[in-house]
Amino acid sequence: MLDVALPSPLKRHVQTARELADARRRAPEETRLTTACADFDHLLEGGLERGTMVELIGRRSSGRFSLALTALAAATQAGEAAALIDLGDALDPQAAAAAGVELERLLWVRPRHIKEVLACAEVTLSSGIPLVVIDTGMPPVPGGRGNEASWLRLARAARSQRTALLISSPYRMSGTAARNVLEMGGSRAAWLGQGPSPRLLRGITTHLELVKSHKPRRQGETAPLAWRLAEDLMGDLPMPTRGALGRRDASSPNTTSDRSNVVRFRERAIA
Amino acid sequence: MSSGSGSVPLLDKTSDATPPDAAQPDPAPGTVPRIACLLTPLFPLAARLRSEPELLQEPVAILAGNGHAARVVAATRLARRAGIKPGFTLAQARARLPKLIARPNDAECERAAQEALLDVAESFSPRVEDGGEGLAYLDACGLERHYPGESPDEELARALMLASEKRAGLPIRVGIAASKLAARVAAGQPHSPTLVPPGEETQFLAPLPLAQLSPQAKTLATLESWGIHSLGELANLPKDEIASRLGSAGQHLHAMARGIDPEPLMPRHPPPVFREGMELEWPLVNLEPFVFVARAALERITQRMQSRGLGCERLTLSLGLEPDGHHERSISLPAPTRDIKTLLTLIRLDLEANPPNAPIATFTLDAHPDQPREAQLSLFGPAALSPDKLATTVARLFSMLGDGRVGSPRTVNAHRPERFALEPYAPPPPPKERLEAQPGRGLLTVRVLRPPLEIEVITRGGTAPSNDAETALADADEVAEPITEYASPPSSERPLSIKTLVSEEGSKKPRIEGRVRVASGPWGLEEDWWSEERLERDYWDVELGGGCLYRIYRDRQTGDWFVDGVYD
Repeated sequence: MLDVALPSPLKRHVQTARELADARRRAPEETRLTTACADFDHLLEGGLERGTMVELIGRRSSGRFSLALTALAAATQAGEAAALIDLGDALDPQAAAAAGVELERLLWVRPRHIKEVLACAEVTLSSGIPLVVIDTGMPPVPGGRGNEASWLRLARAARSQRTALLISSPYRMSGTAARNVLEMGGSRAAWLGQGPSPRLLRGITTHLELVKSHKPRRQGETAPLAWRLAEDLMGDLPMPTRGALGRRDASSPNTTSDRSNVVRFRERAIA
Repeated sequence: MSSGSGSVPLLDKTSDATPPDAAQPDPAPGTVPRIACLLTPLFPLAARLRSEPELLQEPVAILAGNGHAARVVAATRLARRAGIKPGFTLAQARARLPKLIARPNDAECERAAQEALLDVAESFSPRVEDGGEGLAYLDACGLERHYPGESPDEELARALMLASEKRAGLPIRVGIAASKLAARVAAGQPHSPTLVPPGEETQFLAPLPLAQLSPQAKTLATLESWGIHSLGELANLPKDEIASRLGSAGQHLHAMARGIDPEPLMPRHPPPVFREGMELEWPLVNLEPFVFVARAALERITQRMQSRGLGCERLTLSLGLEPDGHHERSISLPAPTRDIKTLLTLIRLDLEANPPNAPIATFTLDAHPDQPREAQLSLFGPAALSPDKLATTVARLFSMLGDGRVGSPRTVNAHRPERFALEPYAPPPPPKERLEAQPGRGLLTVRVLRPPLEIEVITRGGTAPSNDAETALADADEVAEPITEYASPPSSERPLSIKTLVSEEGSKKPRIEGRVRVASGPWGLEEDWWSEERLERDYWDVELGGGCLYRIYRDRQTGDWFVDGVYD
């Protein structure tokens, strides 16, 4: 009916529901959740793959928590729900909001023990939330590494629910369950000001290395990362040069400016 | 009237007991009221067996009254076969059947069963009247459209019986007629369902004995002395003569015998809560057996809520204690749910935290219902979460971790870094089309330490470190790099080294220790200076020798130092 009624110039702009559905079916499936951290996404070939477990390890001040929040920010900004299982009770909602996390879409779970972490993760995965981040905090982790069988069960649950599961831990905890393991290390602090002048913390630079990959030839690839305390106007942080970098040129993911952070940064400096 | 076991009993149209003045004009189609009566035979027994289904195959008798005055009011078929009849004392019943299981008449069980019966009726029609004692009436007008077969009334009646058996656990009999009275009498017939065609109520009632209308004993005796034994015979008597001889009671009985029911259907308002409860056979001391009993009650509640498409938003548990006393707990859920495991875990956790401190004799569960969350699914945007599944997930997390540990974080309009708010997790619906994520800001985040760790700090210009402190510093890993000191006002409190204080729980806390390589600060933070909770802190960012970055502060009021965050 519509075909008959419409004038011919308009016909090509109109699609039937069946054509739309066919187009949807033919479109490439959204199999990866981008984290908006270019180097991290590059090492993971496009982002966190749905249905897989990725483990991110790093010592204190390695930028591990900042990277986890970046992944949460990217998912929530895309309109997805996300969950943070926060063993160390380390989330500062203000910092998360500043990092871009849409707090309304974030489920914050605060367990006290690794056993609770595993149980909560299993329950959370069953809800179908597309991104679940488990942060086990700083050592000593209450309860140790947990049972490896539990991590394998979590990996299976993530696969069945098509959920991207990111484990952020100070050391390898998930055993063989993780499909990819990345390590953050070699971090160095960058300070503003030298010598006797007043000094301000600008940020840190760190390395990200793919220590386990489902593609063995990619193991060992590295990328530098930079995390800054506020998006100041003082230029990029000096990138680290330790070791051989990956095949890709290192670049800072920081391209936008945030006036509120700049103001806060200056307020702190003045105070 | 006659009926076979496989057919629906209908009115015997050959009856000659039709009163001459009972003929009524045929009403217009669609205006005839149709009322279905749901009757639970042996209601006290059926209610008890609903609460204790494991007794279904046992000889059970329900007794009303106390002590030696207790009398059997209902018994299962096994018990009746052994000769136990209503009116027996417990001793008489046990003399006939020593293995008889006796249960007292439990008002709570009966009330819950009555509610379940009404729930079943309300799942068929919005106009339902509570008849009490296992009796319910529903307005069946218009329901024939849902049963387009040859006999819509019969299909409706069978659907009611099936639903009651399956959802409420109550075997019922159903009668359908144009008035409540006729429907009630029809439901009382041994073969169910019994259907009375429209306009034939009088013929239906005519052959039945007078006892079907439960007249007063004196009136019944008078009528029998007149030789009146059936309702048809009574209906044939002149109305005025009956009124002059038997008074208003006789007049009312005469009208009923003619099929005239002055009482219309009085629909009830559904109660705001779903209640289930039970008087326990003996007081329970431990939690586990109580949880076992509560599980069965929860299953019944959730089944009733499911029939209405509702979820439990708040659960109130009332415990009657032995010898006397009362214990009431209210459990709020973050989202409406019907997940039994979650509800049961919440009850268990709450009772573990707040034990009743006395044996439990009776219990009542009140489930406050709420509409489950709904969501519109998007075709092109991110997949929306199933609201029901999400509610169950949040409730289960809530039951595992307790209050204040699951939710959606919110910022607070305050300067204290440790302040935050937690709200129930209710994510907004996803956008209609998938949005592109913004480029990462690459901001360094603080990993907050809750509560802050108290630390020992050696400052420039402060007291000299003790020998122990020096030894500890020498043992630390982070002393390899030389200390760089920077002079910036005020420098008198500049930290030179920090070390967490060892407490009883020290082994479980992160260990932070080392010489300060770079310190940046202080930044003052003052808040609530007008109140007793005032806050005065001097913050520092410090980098230890190993490269770790911490945020520390000195409390100006006490002079103590704390580390409240790690840049990570």
